[in-house]
Amino acid sequence: MKFTVGLRMICIIASAAATLANGPALATPAKETPWLPEAAAYRLTLHYGNLAPVPWEKIEKAWTEPYRGAAFREGAIDRISDDSTLNTEAMEAAIDAQDRQALFAAATRLIAGRIEEQLDRAIAAETSGAAQTAVLEAQELYRAFADHVTAADPEAAREIGMAWLELSSATGSSGVLGTGAAPRNTERMEAARRVISSFLAANYLPDSFGRRATLSAIPETVAASDRVVDLPATLPPGSDIFDQDPLPLLVLNFEEQGIDEKDLPLIAYGDMLFDSPEIFGDPARSNGIACSTCHNRSDINQRFFIPGVSHQPGAADVDGGFFNPMFNDRRADSLDIPSLRGLRFTGPYGRDGRFASLRDFSRNVIVNEFGGAEPTPFMLDALVAYMTEFDFLPNSMVTPEGALTEAAPEAAQRGEEIFNRPMAGLADRSCAGCHIPSANFLNRRAHDIGSASGAYDGSRAGAFDTPTLLGTAYTAPYFHDGSLPTLASVVDWFNDAKSLGLTEQERSDLTAYLETVGAADEPYEAFGERNTPFRLAFEELTTFASTLDTLLPARDAKHTRLLIDTVAADLSADAGTMANQSARPEIYRLANILFDVGEAVRDDDWAAAERHWASFKVEAEAIDERVY
Amino acid sequence: MTAPLTRRTLLATGLGALLAAPALGQDTTLRLAFIPQENPDKLLGDIEVITGWLSQELGVPVEGFVTIDHAAAVEALRNGDADISFMGALPFVLAEAEIGAVPLLSEVYRGEPYYTGRIFVRRDSGITSLADLEGRDIAFADPISESGYLYPLAEFQRAGLISGVEEADTFFGRIFFAGGYQQAMQAMAQGLVAAAGASQYADLLLTPEQQPQVTWIAESPRIPSHVVIARPGLDKGLRARFVETMMRLNDPVHRDMLQYLYGPDGYVRADPEAFDGVREMAREYGLLS
Repeated sequence: MKFTVGLRMICIIASAAATLANGPALATPAKETPWLPEAAAYRLTLHYGNLAPVPWEKIEKAWTEPYRGAAFREGAIDRISDDSTLNTEAMEAAIDAQDRQALFAAATRLIAGRIEEQLDRAIAAETSGAAQTAVLEAQELYRAFADHVTAADPEAAREIGMAWLELSSATGSSGVLGTGAAPRNTERMEAARRVISSFLAANYLPDSFGRRATLSAIPETVAASDRVVDLPATLPPGSDIFDQDPLPLLVLNFEEQGIDEKDLPLIAYGDMLFDSPEIFGDPARSNGIACSTCHNRSDINQRFFIPGVSHQPGAADVDGGFFNPMFNDRRADSLDIPSLRGLRFTGPYGRDGRFASLRDFSRNVIVNEFGGAEPTPFMLDALVAYMTEFDFLPNSMVTPEGALTEAAPEAAQRGEEIFNRPMAGLADRSCAGCHIPSANFLNRRAHDIGSASGAYDGSRAGAFDTPTLLGTAYTAPYFHDGSLPTLASVVDWFNDAKSLGLTEQERSDLTAYLETVGAADEPYEAFGERNTPFRLAFEELTTFASTLDTLLPARDAKHTRLLIDTVAADLSADAGTMANQSARPEIYRLANILFDVGEAVRDDDWAAAERHWASFKVEAEAIDERVY
Repeated sequence: MTAPLTRRTLLATGLGALLAAPALGQDTTLRLAFIPQENPDKLLGDIEVITGWLSQELGVPVEGFVTIDHAAAVEALRNGDADISFMGALPFVLAEAEIGAVPLLSEVYRGEPYYTGRIFVRRDSGITSLADLEGRDIAFADPISESGYLYPLAEFQRAGLISGVEEADTFFGRIFFAGGYQQAMQAMAQGLVAAAGASQYADLLLTPEQQPQVTWIAESPRIPSHVVIARPGLDKGLRARFVETMMRLNDPVHRDMLQYLYGPDGYVRADPEAFDGVREMAREYGLLS
């Protein structure tokens, strides 16, 4: 399983140039440019406004609070009231009235108005530095519209792009420490500004907007033409689909036995699918979301967060309105992402154990939750073959039968007795009654322990599958909704909810026991000079590609193309993470050879495909030696 | 008429002074002047964290404040309002000439305390050499950027295509200053201009889809990365302890702190000779006499 799918999100990184400083302070490599609060609030408004039901509370917060992970301390409305003469009343009224169209119109005008305001400042600025600051901020505000303009009207996007270049260049330079100053060219600035302003007037500040079925920032002139626009699938500001850091260690059964994955083509193909956004539909596919995005290295991803999808980091509502509207259950029921370690022992599947079969569960994820096309039987076989290789993390403090070893701390030894002690609050059963130590600390049954409130009076919908305790020291938070932050809080919850009457010492010992059972000898991948993130990715991708040794002779065009679409794109994307940046072109060349294999297969030229594949193997081997 | 007090006017009228007017008279207090590189709001939070950590590690009070620009930071160093500041190689050599600023530490990125400037083009442009850019449009980041203008432009001179900076205007079709690396790179990637001059890492600012579509055709000599500098009169003992403490940021246990200091991968002790090329370049461009 690969781990760098999050790289597809790198598109938002940007210059270290000051977006707000009075004149740029360039010198350092690359840094992420934060979304300005107003632009972020606008994009979040479009995102939330397209969900059903519309989460109005979240829209309000998008304008009043800093977005998640924001580099700014203030929300959009505060920033506007500090820095602008524009008022936000129309927009706030639209939110209060829950009027989606009025909100779109008011928010769009607000952003366009803010851009105009900054352009006014740029023209009126007394110094080049101040003008440059205003232009950069105007451009950052325009970012709220930019990608939709490019998709809807490439000619206009080009014209506006040139106008921004002209405007920026014409601001001149304040120089540095009194030297190197260049004068402003006001005439050029005003000419460029006129281009931008007339575009904004026609498209983002019209007297009225046509009704928008789907909220987007496409220009009004395009929207009015009813032309269908293929908008890029993007995630809203505040999203985080990068891999967890530190990266969980992947323990594969065959690998621990010294079997090379390249000799297991079905498993290697399943490994590729686990990492392939291509098996999902949009918006997951275009945003690079794969199984491994949430289940990093078979475990979890504690940082995964998408506004409107996740109620907190590490959680997702996979049957909401974002991924597959057809499967939208219209219930805000975001769940904590579960670990897949030891998957072959942890059925049934789903938080409430609704799927007895891992194969059925996987199909449901692909087709219903993420809107993908119907997988072939081979794909499902491969995925299941791969996922059932996930093993628990080795833990020298627990025997395979679930007893503590001498390596376990004393407090845990005391806790083991409490764990196995029948208690009245548990109907004279013990914790071990459900979390059976000799059965990987689970019992494969669903129980209602009172951790969820019923959805309606008389509902019996609060039963959840008993989770294993193995590896849980690294999978906080806990419970189906991630409502408990620590294992100690889990113990406290049971003590209170089930009136267990445990003393403070007993709770501490029981916690120590859970932490010991949930521990691992090596929970995380250890990177070093040789084992770099890129090397790991490179080896995994070339392993995936090795299934071509099976697919090409079988003339399996469909699965070959799927593999190439995944691996070649990821190879290119991963090149950006190489420590040895000068070797990046070699990786791009390698990816191109793989694309050539795909092209040949599309042309039904299997001999050419075989030739390209042979050349890929030679190059990959050479690169393996050279590039690190 | 009094202008309304807004976040913007605060910054323009000296946020630094308002934020943390240096407490004069405390001889043991170490004062750090920060220059905003990105979002001043974030910088304020960062300063709080890093000065807190430095105070604890150094055992002396540490204060930080934001200056409006390089000139204000250098002025603060000159008059003793600041002891330490953080800046790029070019502002440093100018500050060195002006007030005798001393380089203490260099930022490390991808294992090196330097980087380069490159001329990037689209792979499908057919442009393979600097000579191919004659009469074509180019976007640079900023006229005072080392890697985003000065060094990449000097490559044309080294290639014998222009004899001096002043000939650039006649060699190229048009020269744009896009405002930053990303803007320059996007202008090139989107086909608005034929080439971009930017930091060697600037192609990482493009989308993963765009990255394989661009390549570079020239690379400058090494440019020292950002440098931590001190005013010349700073007590040598305190200076040494500061350097020693900052070097501890390279330890895994303290690495998290780096994100509050412009986000380098680490620090090395600065080598004053490493800036010879920048001094020469600054003279070449008429920025240093």
